[in-house]
Amino acid sequence: MAFWGRILKRALQPARPSSDAAALCSSYSTNAPPQLPRFDHLPKPYKGPSADAVLEKRKKFLGPSLFYFYEKPLNIVEGKMQYLFDESGRRYLDAFAGIVTVSCGHCHPEVLDAIIEQSKLLQHATTIYLHHAIGDFAEALTSKLPGDLKVVYFVNSGSEANELATLMARMYTGNLEMISLRNAYHGGSSGTIGLTALNTWKYSIPQGEIHHVMNPDPYRGPFGSDAKAYARDVQDHIDFGTSGKVAGFIAETIQGVGGAVELAPGYLKLVYDIVRKAGGVCIADEVQTGFGRTGGHYWGFETQGVIPDIVTMAKGIGNGLPLGAVVTTPEIASVMAQKIQFNTYGGNPVCSAGGHAVLRVIDKEKRQAHCADIGSHLISRLKELQQKYDIIGDVRGRGLMLGVELVTDRKEKTPAKAETLHLFEKLKE
Amino acid sequence: MQRITAAKRALAAQAHRTFSQSAASLREPELPKMPAFDYTPPPYSGPPAAEILAKRKEFLSPSLFHFYKKPINIVDGKKQYLFDEEGRRYLDAFGGIATVCCGHCHPDVVSAVVKQMNRIQHSTVLYLNHAIADFAEALASKMPGDLKVVFFTNSGTEANELALMMARLYTGCQDIISIRNGYHGNAAGTMGATAQSIWKFNVVQSGVHHTLNPDPYRGVFGSDGEKYAKDVQDLINFGTSGHVAGFISEAIQGVGGIIELAPGYLPAAYSTIKKAGGLCIADEVQSGFARTGSFWGFESHGVVPDIVTMAKGIGNGIPLGAVVTTPEIAEVLTRRSYFNTFGGNPVCTAAGLAVLNVIEKEKLQENAHVVGSYLKERLLSLKDKYELVGDVRGRGLMLGLELVTDRKLKTPAKTEIVHVMEQMKDMGVLVGKGGYYGNVFRITPPLCFTKEDADFLVDAMGYTLSKM
Repeated sequence: MAFWGRILKRALQPARPSSDAAALCSSYSTNAPPQLPRFDHLPKPYKGPSADAVLEKRKKFLGPSLFYFYEKPLNIVEGKMQYLFDESGRRYLDAFAGIVTVSCGHCHPEVLDAIIEQSKLLQHATTIYLHHAIGDFAEALTSKLPGDLKVVYFVNSGSEANELATLMARMYTGNLEMISLRNAYHGGSSGTIGLTALNTWKYSIPQGEIHHVMNPDPYRGPFGSDAKAYARDVQDHIDFGTSGKVAGFIAETIQGVGGAVELAPGYLKLVYDIVRKAGGVCIADEVQTGFGRTGGHYWGFETQGVIPDIVTMAKGIGNGLPLGAVVTTPEIASVMAQKIQFNTYGGNPVCSAGGHAVLRVIDKEKRQAHCADIGSHLISRLKELQQKYDIIGDVRGRGLMLGVELVTDRKEKTPAKAETLHLFEKLKE
Repeated sequence: MQRITAAKRALAAQAHRTFSQSAASLREPELPKMPAFDYTPPPYSGPPAAEILAKRKEFLSPSLFHFYKKPINIVDGKKQYLFDEEGRRYLDAFGGIATVCCGHCHPDVVSAVVKQMNRIQHSTVLYLNHAIADFAEALASKMPGDLKVVFFTNSGTEANELALMMARLYTGCQDIISIRNGYHGNAAGTMGATAQSIWKFNVVQSGVHHTLNPDPYRGVFGSDGEKYAKDVQDLINFGTSGHVAGFISEAIQGVGGIIELAPGYLPAAYSTIKKAGGLCIADEVQSGFARTGSFWGFESHGVVPDIVTMAKGIGNGIPLGAVVTTPEIAEVLTRRSYFNTFGGNPVCTAAGLAVLNVIEKEKLQENAHVVGSYLKERLLSLKDKYELVGDVRGRGLMLGLELVTDRKLKTPAKTEIVHVMEQMKDMGVLVGKGGYYGNVFRITPPLCFTKEDADFLVDAMGYTLSKM
């Protein structure tokens, strides 16, 4: 089972490592353990509350559902580029980036500069007045998108973006049914919980008209990498589960929360066709795959050779700023224009300035090429590990969105849950 | 607060008119002057208004609207003032829609934000960080009863979505009751709870019921709160299984035109809902954080909700929202996993904590009460003077002024209000507009608003009204 998903169920499971995981760790400990690359930055001395004090307060004031990583959770007090620092000043390599969110690097100077300068001038006034930052950012953002994708709606999160995209699909087509992939994650609000298709994240609430189709998962799916076979399931759902007409289809190109699962090659092209023929629009959820992360392309959907009708984004868009966006065509936008659509914080000057700086950094520092470069190096090294250790069932992904799946049996693909937890803890140490 | 009765006020006004009428008829009303303010914005060298408007039309949502025939390019803000591209100063009596509570670019808030940004912007709650815990603690300390568990989101919509879901999960029931003319957000669940057609797309709204609005000005039962509350019981009896998930309402409807719920309404409605097994959700997105003179709007209704949602003022404009509830209700989310990537990030929570500190340090709650009461009195004097002013209402610095062309029929003065708003802007006062008919001035300035600002606002409005 994928690395990410199982961490959440960790609370009650003691770690019982298999011999392989232990071997993996010990083979490095017989030689000297690997060293962190050098990094020229000293964190500021930390004088705030300790990890225990913070955990205590969290338990008291933030509710029992707030979970965290590690038996002994880390008190992260500072970040710089790809490194994080804990309360004792210890440096960690951040290979998760606050869940695929910190795109330029923690506290990237250019992004910080833009945000701080704008914070001093004006944080918030809303779009009922004019301000240049929002238009400038929208212009820069749309210049990165193909086809007719040139109208931007700013929101504050991926959930909000996907909510809006779903609304657009329904208003534009006049149809109700939405299709999403099993194992997908699209948000935690009432509409997006319906689209999300992983039971860990789904509360028992009415989901509305949603169909969850077979996941074109090359590793675990029943049809391997046969995109046609999976696409047939979409047609099936439409033919037998709907009126024949749908509102839209939404997918991540590489499922993030679901475990870095790349959609079988050619899948999106086939499905987009099917969905459009049924009157629906195609939504690409780029919340995790966007902004050059996949290396070969700026947007995840480009890896499948398609052009969606609506693109949603968040996470990397602002290097950690609470910001999201929906980009669509003027045609779809004009239907939405029949009513007011307003977001109080959306497009505020500070987040727009931050977002714009992120785009500049990605371009200037050639981050997309860098992702391709380092990503392919990383994936080949991970594949080497896979050659060496049976416990590594699959290595997948593109650029700097990679996944390593641990299994106790390569044939059965039995998820190595305890081993993953053990390795996870050891890596942190 | 001393209440001058309507009679006393009328007498005072009459006296004023008698004495000053002769003088006034000889004197042209003076153009009101903006209070002095010791700050010059840095020179603006960015694109002008026309260029920005063009870009907005090209690259942004066509449903994006703006105020004013000639929309203003706002480039700088300081306390309760905004500055346009030419450095011209405006009195901000709208607060970015009741959002900027401490004042634009308040130094304490900016400093907390910058300090935190230089350390770490984002890592998520998967790791520990003291900022979120400290802010949650401080926020919980402002709450009555058992309301002590905080969930952070990025907006009011997200907060209300979470609150509605929690109510449904906790009770196992689906039906939510909200008040007509209320506004709660624009995602799937919240668009259902929002009860104004203007803000509702043609979506499926399952499980939501909209009850009579206890509107003292336009409502069918006047100010009889309990009579309106009977409609809640009716809806439960005839529209649901008899058991409901919950009830959500604002203490003073913001988008709906600063409508104070009729006295006695909330306690009666809450009682009805509780009997039906439901939870009471107080939407404090606009009325919270000292704006009404009490810290929370619901306090002035003498109730304690089960869930409180907030946003807007919570961060002085930074994208932040929150839900506060009891440990018992919070427990429902442990059934599965709820996660908000940006929610509770160190920068926004640092800002939130700074906001609470500023509200306390600068006694903004008291100021909202004192200046708000003063402002309301002065607005009421406008009502005495001008037939066009149909109603003046609200509390603290959440005030509304409704314009009507006929006081008996209460015909909304839709064109007149646009004219007054334009004139006031030309004089340097920015107010908001709302209400179902778009004929209500919404006055929700930063809470550092002064008596001089209040005078300027009223004088500018009075000046405009006098010329009509």
